[in-house]
Formats: sequence, C-alpha cells, structure tokens
Amino acid sequence: MYPINVFPLVGLSDVVVGLSLGSRLFLIAVGLSLIFGVLGVLNFAHGAFYMLGAYFALSVATNVVDNFWLAVLLGALAVGVVGAAIEVATIRPLYERLESDLDQLIVTFGFVLVIHEAVRYRWGSQSYRTDAPAILDFTVQIAGSQFRAYRLFVIVAAVAVMIGLWLFITKTYFGSLVRGTSSDREMASMLGVDVPRLYTAVFFAGSFLAGLGGALAAPIQSISPALGDQVIIDAFIIVVIGGLGSLSGAFVGAMVVGMMQSFATQFLGSGNMAVPFAAMVVVLLFKPEGLFGGIGE
Amino acid sequence: MSTQNDGVVDRIGTFGRQAVSGWTRERFVLLSLLGLLLVSFAPPFQVFLFTEFLIIALFAVAFNLLYGYTGLLSFGHAMFYAGGAYGLAIVMRDYQQPIADVVGTGLAPLATLVVGGLVGLLLVLVLAIPVGYLSVRLEEIYFALITLAFGMLFFVLLEQNPYGLTNGTDGIFVVLGFVEVGGTEFRLGDRRLYYYLTAAVVVASIYAVWRIVNSPFGTICKALRESPDRAAALGVNVTVHRWMTFVVSALFVGVAGVLIAGFASVATPNMSHWSTSAIPVVATVIGGATFFVGPIVGAFIYLYVRWGISRFPALEDQWQLFFGIMLIVVVLYFKQGAAGGLFMGRDWLLDVHAAYQRDGVGAAAAFVRESIGATFRRAMARLTSTGRDDGGVDR
Repeated sequence: MYPINVFPLVGLSDVVVGLSLGSRLFLIAVGLSLIFGVLGVLNFAHGAFYMLGAYFALSVATNVVDNFWLAVLLGALAVGVVGAAIEVATIRPLYERLESDLDQLIVTFGFVLVIHEAVRYRWGSQSYRTDAPAILDFTVQIAGSQFRAYRLFVIVAAVAVMIGLWLFITKTYFGSLVRGTSSDREMASMLGVDVPRLYTAVFFAGSFLAGLGGALAAPIQSISPALGDQVIIDAFIIVVIGGLGSLSGAFVGAMVVGMMQSFATQFLGSGNMAVPFAAMVVVLLFKPEGLFGGIGE
Repeated sequence: MSTQNDGVVDRIGTFGRQAVSGWTRERFVLLSLLGLLLVSFAPPFQVFLFTEFLIIALFAVAFNLLYGYTGLLSFGHAMFYAGGAYGLAIVMRDYQQPIADVVGTGLAPLATLVVGGLVGLLLVLVLAIPVGYLSVRLEEIYFALITLAFGMLFFVLLEQNPYGLTNGTDGIFVVLGFVEVGGTEFRLGDRRLYYYLTAAVVVASIYAVWRIVNSPFGTICKALRESPDRAAALGVNVTVHRWMTFVVSALFVGVAGVLIAGFASVATPNMSHWSTSAIPVVATVIGGATFFVGPIVGAFIYLYVRWGISRFPALEDQWQLFFGIMLIVVVLYFKQGAAGGLFMGRDWLLDVHAAYQRDGVGAAAAFVRESIGATFRRAMARLTSTGRDDGGVDR
C-alpha cells in the first residue's frame, strides 16, 4: 500500500480522470435537476432515459445513417419525445394531487421497469460497444498518462452543455418563463403562461439532455440493460449534493463526485463506492436544500 | 372488536360467534388460517412458492406501516431485510459449535436458528435506531432519498467484507441442518417443516402489526399521514413518533429477512440493494396502501403473477414489464389497488345477493346490468373528459 501522503498520489492524470467521470455524471444529472427544479418531479426513470439515448443512437448509427453526430442528435431527440409523451400521459394528471410527490416517484419508477424490459426485448441482454468517431480516435499525452481524445471531448461537451443551458435560462425570454414558473406557478399561470405546455417542454428538454448524455457517453461505456439502474443512483447522489433543482449545483456536484471516485480509489481501494453515498447522507442531514441555491444560479 | 379487558376464552368465543354469523372479517381470518394449513399438503414446489409469498407479504406489511399508515416512503428498507438475513447467517456460520456445547448436538440447529434470528433482530435494531433517528427529520422525497442512500451504504459495507464477517459479494451460505429429538430426525430445511415455521412466525408478526395499527399508536400514525401539522398541534411529537414507527417497521422487516435467509439458504449483499427495496413498494402500491391487507394481496399478485408469466417461455423475462404497467395504472386511476378492488367486488356481490333475496333472479340480473353499465359510462366519461381529474383519490 501507499503511504498516506496526498501530494505524490494525486497527479494531473487523476484530475483528468475525475473530470472525465464528472462530465459523464453531469450529463446524467443535469436534466434530472432541471425537471425537479421546474416541475417538482423527481424522475426515477431518468437513468432509463439516459440508457435509451445510448441505445437509440446505436440503432440510428447502425440502421439509418452512418454518421456519429447525427445519430447522437436523433437519439437524443427521440428520447425527448418519449419523455414528453410520458409527461403528458402519466405525470400531468398527478400535479393536482395532495401527495403528488411520492406518486410521481412511484409512477416514474414504473417506467424504469417498463423501459428496462422494452430495451431487453428489443436489444437483448448482451452489452454493446460503439466506436468513437474517427475524427476523435487518437490519444493525448497528459502528465505522462495516455488519454483517449474522446474522453477529453466529453469534458468539453459537458462544459458546453452547462454554458448553453445557463445562457438559455438566464438570457432568453423562454428561460425567464421557466424561472418564473419554477418559483411561482400560480402567478405565472395568471399572467398567461401556459403552464402545462411549459412543463411538457421542460420535461422534453430534460429527457433530451438525458438522451444526449447517454448517446455522447456511448463510446466510453458498455451499453447494457443494467446501465439505467447504475446511473440513476449516481444522478440522485449528484442532485442531492448540488441541490435539487440547481443547474450549477448539478455541475459542481458531478465534478465533486467524479473527483471523489477518482481519488478515493487510491485511499480506500474498492471502498470508494461508499464515499458518494456518505456524502449524500451528510448533505441531506445538514443542508437538505443542497450546497447551491435554486435554478439558474 | 372485543374490548381490551376480556379474557382470552371470551375473546375466542366472540371470534367464533362472529365467524359463523355471516361474511365477517372473523370468518375470512378463520378461512385464511385453514387455507394456510391446507397449503402444506400441496406439491412441494407450491409449498415453496407459498413460503416465499408469506415472507414477502410480511416484508410489505412492515414497509406499509411506514408508507401507508405514516406517509413516509422508504427506499432503503432492504437494509433491514439484509440485516436480519446476515444476523442469522453469521450466527449459523460461526456459533454453531458453541451453541451445540450448551444445548447438545441434537437441538443445536434449532437453537442456532432461534439465536441467529434474535441476533438478526438485534442487528436490525442497532441499525434502525440511528438510521431512523437521522432519516425521519426529512420529509417526502428527501426521506426517500436518504433511506436510499443508507440502504446503499449498507450494501457497499456488506460487499467490502469488514473483518471477514460478510464474505464479500458471494454472501454467506445458510445451512439449517438436522434436528434430533427423541431419536427422530427432522431436516430443518425441509420445505414443509420450514413452511410451518414461516407460517407461524409470519402470522404472529402480521397479527402484531395489526394490533399496533389498531392501537392508539396506530391512530397517531394515521393522523401523521393526514396532516403532520395538525397532529403536532394536538401535542404529538411528530419526529419521535415517526422514529418509533420507523424502528418498529424495520424490526418486522428484519423478521422477514431472517426467514428469507433460511428460505434461500444464503444471505447476499443484493438483499440490501435498492432494487430489493423496490419489492415492497411495488407489492404495496399494487395491492393498495390504504388497506391493511393491501400489501398481502400485492405480495400474492407479485409472486403468483410472476410465476404464472414464467410458465410461458415466450414471456419468461417480461414479468417486470407487467408490474411496471400495473404500477402506473394503479397510481393513476386506481389508488385503492387490488385490495380495494376485492372489497368493491365483495360489496357488489353482497348487493347482488340482496337484490336476489328481495325480488328473485330477474332483479339481480337487472342490478348487474345496471351497475356494469353505470361503471362503464363513468369510465368513458373519465377518459373523454378534459377537465381536472382528482385521480380517484379519496383518502
């Protein structure tokens, strides 16, 4: 074992690994946080959406058009449509209920089971691998370690998504509608915002982001029906640490968890899985609203 | 209901009178107990399946004490399920010999089972008191999330094999062994014998939960579900009461965990995974969380529908799909769940029977036609209405 001396152990390469993990986690968590922030729905099926994005992109790439970027976009759009359909059909009737929070959680958990089985029915239980697009198929040397360029690209993509969302929420008219509705739904409704339609749009956007994450991360993970169950727990951890409904919180939380997993391996061996859960418990106990404030901050 | 200060004999007498006086609750209870006895003469596989049903039913009933009666959705109850299972498994593995030295070789397996079960419950208690204390301060979604995190923490801990106790991802095998009493030998793991054991423990536990639910304690639980603020205004210490309920609920889940370890002959970390926590959620919601028997009905559907689906090779793996759809439909349109459906069906049959007794067959048939037509029209109206629907909640 190593002596417990932090500095020689944490090199630049560990930071890059942490960022790379964190970027993938951010793409998973950001849509979940967006949906919770605006609709107040904790979408249990979000991990399943992420998985669907990977599978749809895979299908498009093999059956429709042999272009990676187009496949990612079409896959993400398809997941967005699925999400919007689910919102209209099953979540919308629940907003009026008294204990709607738990009912929404249970309904979306029902979709976890449904999507899981549908994926197994259509693509079987085996795991798939996709190749990174040729343009990014090379390795980069950082601090004496080899990194696949695609991993670095995912970091860039996560940052781009973050900036894009931030601009959208804070600078556009539609973004101000979203912010207004998330803070006071009745008032927005009285001022003429079509709240149900806005909710569906936000749910579409959140699902689209989940699908985008799944499709973009497809070349750096194995795609199997178990994927959704793994990532939803990561997403829960992140949105709790960052603050339910906070986008910047999701970003920072994802990077923190990514770093934790990257560094904790060095100190705890395989016990690194416990660190994020412990962090989640601590945050829930001492600052249940998360480390960051509301949406768009 | 008999009053509290009756003697046992009086109470049995009251129970008997109630059971023969018509289709009362007592009669159903009596028939269920007879049914439990009859099941043990079924083919071995059916006994096996029914044993599992009983264990899951207890798991779901204990979970529902927290969800249906107190309004807290836990997504980490698998932790206590695993706690009970591991308590038994560790005692079985490590303390068989010392116990044999005390009670003699003949009775050792049975004594170990009892001691292991108690150790399992003690372990659950040690887990549930701090976990409950920390969890119940949070509400709704946050409560579900923190219990999920605790359950997964325990899962990781079990996989880590602390001090060689839990044997990592493989889990611990549980070998029940042979009991020798007065020259005859019994195999504890024998399906029928284990079924009797399970049935006795589960019936006693469910009865205990039922008594708790119908006690003042249970009344406070219901008050908390309806409105924590009003309960607090009436002088209920909300947090403490929720904590107590959490611990009681966890203990009964622990009993189910002890039983499942003996049933499956193994305790694995997966018993603490969140997907195991989802089992009582699915069973309870489908069965109907607002009824005491809801989780039992739900567990029955959960196991027997699964078994029924597995009979068709084409659908072998699709059982989760069915439960996913059921879950969505029940929450959206039928909050009463399957138990609610059964009660509605019973009332409807009683109405038909009443019509028949009043004016004979013609009236009964007319009533059936009329009620089915009315139900159908209501359903159509609901489907075509664009107005706001309350989702059929009438709590």
